[in-house]
Amino acid sequence: MARMKFLCDSERCIECNGCVTACKNEHEVPWGVNRRRVVTLEDGVPGERSISVACMHCTDAPCAAVCPVDCFYTTDDGIVLHDKDLCIGCGYCFYACPFGAPQYPQQEAFGVRGKMDKCTFCAGGPEGKDNSDEERQKYGKNRIAEGKLPLCAEMCATKALLAGDGDMVADIYRERVTKRSTRPQSWGWLTAYQEDV
Amino acid sequence: MRRHIVRASALAALVTLITGCGVTVYEPGVYKGEKDPLLSMHAKPEHKAQLQERFTKGQAER
Amino acid sequence: MKLVKKQTQEPGKSAAATGGGLLGRTVDRRTFLRGTGLAAGGAAVATTLSMRMMQRADAATGEAASGDVVTKRSVCTHCSVGCGVIAEVQNGVWTGQEPDFDSPFNMGAHCAKGAAVREHGHGDKRLKYPMKLVGGKWQRVSWDDALDEIGDKLLAIREQHSPDSVYWLGSAKFSNEQSYLFRKFAAMWGTNNLDHQARICHSTTVAGVANTWGYGAMTNSYNDMHLSKTMFFIGSNAAEAHPVAMQHVMRSKESGGKLIVADPRFTRTAAHADQFMRLRSGTDVPLIWGMLWHIFQNGWEDKEYIAQRVFGMEDIRAEVAKWTPEVVQDVTGVPPEQVKLAAQTMAENKPGTIVWCMGGTQHTVGNNNTRAYCVLQLALGNVGMAGGGANIFRGHDNVQGATDFGVLADSLPGYYGLAAGAWKHWCNVWDLDYEWVKSRFDQASYEEGKEQLPAMELRGITVSRWIDGVLEPAENMAQKAPIKAMFMWGHAPNSQTRGFEMKKAMGLLDLLVIVDPYPTHSAVMNDRTDGVFLLPAATQFETYGSVTASNRSIQWREKIMEPLFESLPDHVIMYKFAKKLGFAEQLTKHIQVNGEEPLIEDIVREYNRGMWTIGYTGQSPERLKLHLENKHTFNTTTLKAEGGPCDGEYYGLPWPCWGTPEMKHPGSPNLYDTSKTVAEGGMPFRANFGVEYQGKTLLSEGSWSKGSEIEDGYPEFTADMLKQLGWWGDLTPEEQKAAEGKNWKTDLSGGIQRVAIKHGCAPYGNGKARCIVWNFPDPVPLHREPLYTSRHDLVEKYPTYEDRKRFWRLPTRYMSIQAKDYSKDYPLIHTSGRLVEYEGGGEETRSNKWLAELQQDMFAEINPADANNLGVKDGQWIWLEGPEGGKIKVKAMVTRRVAKGVVFTPYHFGGWFDGQDLKDKYPEDTAPWVRGEPANNAFTYGYDSVTAMQETKASLCKITPA
Repeated sequence: MARMKFLCDSERCIECNGCVTACKNEHEVPWGVNRRRVVTLEDGVPGERSISVACMHCTDAPCAAVCPVDCFYTTDDGIVLHDKDLCIGCGYCFYACPFGAPQYPQQEAFGVRGKMDKCTFCAGGPEGKDNSDEERQKYGKNRIAEGKLPLCAEMCATKALLAGDGDMVADIYRERVTKRSTRPQSWGWLTAYQEDV
Repeated sequence: MRRHIVRASALAALVTLITGCGVTVYEPGVYKGEKDPLLSMHAKPEHKAQLQERFTKGQAER
Repeated sequence: MKLVKKQTQEPGKSAAATGGGLLGRTVDRRTFLRGTGLAAGGAAVATTLSMRMMQRADAATGEAASGDVVTKRSVCTHCSVGCGVIAEVQNGVWTGQEPDFDSPFNMGAHCAKGAAVREHGHGDKRLKYPMKLVGGKWQRVSWDDALDEIGDKLLAIREQHSPDSVYWLGSAKFSNEQSYLFRKFAAMWGTNNLDHQARICHSTTVAGVANTWGYGAMTNSYNDMHLSKTMFFIGSNAAEAHPVAMQHVMRSKESGGKLIVADPRFTRTAAHADQFMRLRSGTDVPLIWGMLWHIFQNGWEDKEYIAQRVFGMEDIRAEVAKWTPEVVQDVTGVPPEQVKLAAQTMAENKPGTIVWCMGGTQHTVGNNNTRAYCVLQLALGNVGMAGGGANIFRGHDNVQGATDFGVLADSLPGYYGLAAGAWKHWCNVWDLDYEWVKSRFDQASYEEGKEQLPAMELRGITVSRWIDGVLEPAENMAQKAPIKAMFMWGHAPNSQTRGFEMKKAMGLLDLLVIVDPYPTHSAVMNDRTDGVFLLPAATQFETYGSVTASNRSIQWREKIMEPLFESLPDHVIMYKFAKKLGFAEQLTKHIQVNGEEPLIEDIVREYNRGMWTIGYTGQSPERLKLHLENKHTFNTTTLKAEGGPCDGEYYGLPWPCWGTPEMKHPGSPNLYDTSKTVAEGGMPFRANFGVEYQGKTLLSEGSWSKGSEIEDGYPEFTADMLKQLGWWGDLTPEEQKAAEGKNWKTDLSGGIQRVAIKHGCAPYGNGKARCIVWNFPDPVPLHREPLYTSRHDLVEKYPTYEDRKRFWRLPTRYMSIQAKDYSKDYPLIHTSGRLVEYEGGGEETRSNKWLAELQQDMFAEINPADANNLGVKDGQWIWLEGPEGGKIKVKAMVTRRVAKGVVFTPYHFGGWFDGQDLKDKYPEDTAPWVRGEPANNAFTYGYDSVTAMQETKASLCKITPA
């Protein structure tokens, strides 16, 4: 069984922020906390490319490795979750994460750090009952428990963002790349072939 | 013989230390929080299959 | 969290060498808008929103959360793609939103706005109850009191002046039924002074395209683009304006389709293009003629298609011959190789489709632009086939429906127009005495152009000019008196130009009534102290009815929740007003009214009986609801149901859906497609312009629909024609009775249409598309410089029009404005456009916290070269001023997206005026999270020569650091 993965096909991503607001909607994420955001490179010039980024649910998660209170755990297929009751808000996971996934809700204007919050792959957290009020209030909705997949990917405008069984995600992407073979859009083409697109 | 006894009692002391006497030993890297009911539900193949079906329904090109 | 790679430095230059700081450095939009929550809007929010925990909608915790989940299906309220929305409702509260995978339009997808629609159920910033402005303060009033006072005032104005002194500005967000009722309402009141967003959006499209080949709507569909081998986007930034449409574009690209984008800006759509052409704002016609120059030069045109189905191409050739590559480069700025490449790509990769939006329509020559686009496609033989066509992306969710139902100053529902015959047809449908309806209008006649027409038959004032309807002296207007009362019903004010003059006009009104779910910029932008009413309308999620997507498909919306607070659905408000004003009985003569709510299904059945021109007659409520239940059975490329209860029908029964519902026409997915029989959804071009012009036939030669018994061109069907053909006997006795002396548009039995189709013929004839529109100011589309142009040297060769004494009832200037050269003092081209997070005037979307967080500041895009010349740094406050004195204070965003000499502003902001934040002028708790200067305060006079569309894509400005 493959690991659960996100993949954002940057050839299709149009920076519409549908994934961002879908997440806000589903989990009532407060202003200032960005579980998911779209990053754009070369904004406004040829070569502009966007990619949607949230927690990557790493196999060997640096956040889990550095946490002093070990509040992280993983499902058997790689969804990285954490326990807000244990979290001390030290911010080390933010240092460790290469993607900036950990967020800290601001409590006051001077940015006092609260409990860490991050993308849960829509799988909630370790609260007694799945999709209980407590779980929803702390972690947001638990779609995985309902047999659904992350809403950001399910609502992506162009189906650029995919989330699910890593093998199935890869299959879709591979098919697209094969179909696209008539044009240079893969990374490094310009370098390799010195061609003007 | 004496070395044996010393070694054995050291070993016994160590074992007692680790296993009993109410002393907590910190185990780094092991999750310390509550058990998530999702884990057991999610580990079942039926649940995985349900998610795969959902993926095909929603994210594969129709 | 700023994970953005900055623009890389020029090799060899260090940061110090480039002057350090932010001068000249470009930045992306995300970084620019410091979204940490501490920005102006954010700080206020941080204190009001609870931060510590995730929170569900307040009412959903506790007992409500344990209620059963009911699923309701609706359609997004934002754009014309028509994405399906699935709402989960518990105890009447909208607690969840799920993707609508079954919808063939979006297959679950949403953009930022669609993914955030559940916020409408929160209603943080909604107008909660009717309010009245008294002594500069907002006071709560009851519906009854408000209606009484407003109604009395309206009746007094009617008495003292005329019915034309009340302007009923309606909405593209009305459902079809509400749109139809609104048009009927204005007729009962007795005025043609009504309009909606289509005027300032695609009015030039509808006029230009309808006058070319019959109907002015999108010919194919978003889905059909899967089959396009070339997609030419000119003046359309679909990645931000129609994001989910890009899903279909991407599928096409992955099947080998080529994407060409022409735009003054390197837009997010251009970023995905195979070819990008940067053209000077307002030079669309030269670019298209430039492409056609190469096409004719190389013999790439489809000669057989032109001979059979197109009229007037020779006149086009004569004009195109003037647009040589060098001339095109001088005027547009696009180099010859690029123009040729685009033309060649389109010629060699067919079928190809063309897409345009506001970039092409919002000009004084908008109707020339839209016709040029059509002519290009006709020359290539791309119209009337899958993968081809003119795919016009409409704006608001139901602007197509509102246009079709005539929320317009120049037509009754169904584009019948305003002549006596049109009125008689509709009075027939409404079962009202024509003389009574006539008596409701100002009985005088007025001169306009070469005609003298009674007020009832004279097209009204457009929304783009309503302020002149207030400001202009009565003797200059083609109506009795200026506008005294203004209704802004589901329409923002900041989408129209000349904001400073609008403020003045609002001050002069006797009465301003805003009917909207939000107070809107109208509530705060003026300095009035009295005589303003705010009436809370419910959104489309709080009622039900049908909505027409850009591809002419009609979707049924279910009601998600009860109207919030004291808001009411628009059709209920209309009924209440009709009661007060004394024509409720006539308005709903054959429409059942439950309490004060006209029954939606009855409204559908009424317009099914009258909308013969465009085929809104076959889509009964039952058929539409069946489609809602079976969305998943429709193929996502052809939109045809394969099996299931709707087998053989096209999703949403796209109009024209000919005949009565009993006839069960499947809808028409691609217009003008002769490869299908008419009964299967095909048809030829409409014979709309007569049978002959200057001795040459206007009927098609050698081209007819599959299965047509007349294997030739033929005119539109009348009762007499059926008799001549010997088909009269095919009508039933009832049909014969109704059809006697009528034609396909006025026969209420639908028999003429049924019999024509039975014999394989299209009811509207089989004509040629025409490249020259002899009843337009420019029969052959010509290039004319914008009124405010940066190239005044070209004005001599490409001048604008003569001033007009009366045009849509008002004096309209052209030449007298263009005569002066403003480009020295206002050296930058000013153009506007959309952002993906916001929509329209923006009050609704800027009141949605999930969207507002993503775009917190109004800004203007400035090229680094211009920024350096002006001493402006990225993020700095600047004043942007137009040549008419309108000015706005915004932040500078330095980017290479715009070329040197071009400035871009998004038009969605409001709640500021002349540098002041008007937050405190809003009623309590209704100020949107994000406010900013309206771009249109700095935009200028300029109106399309046929439809009076405003010129918001090509103006001038100057910038100074603030």
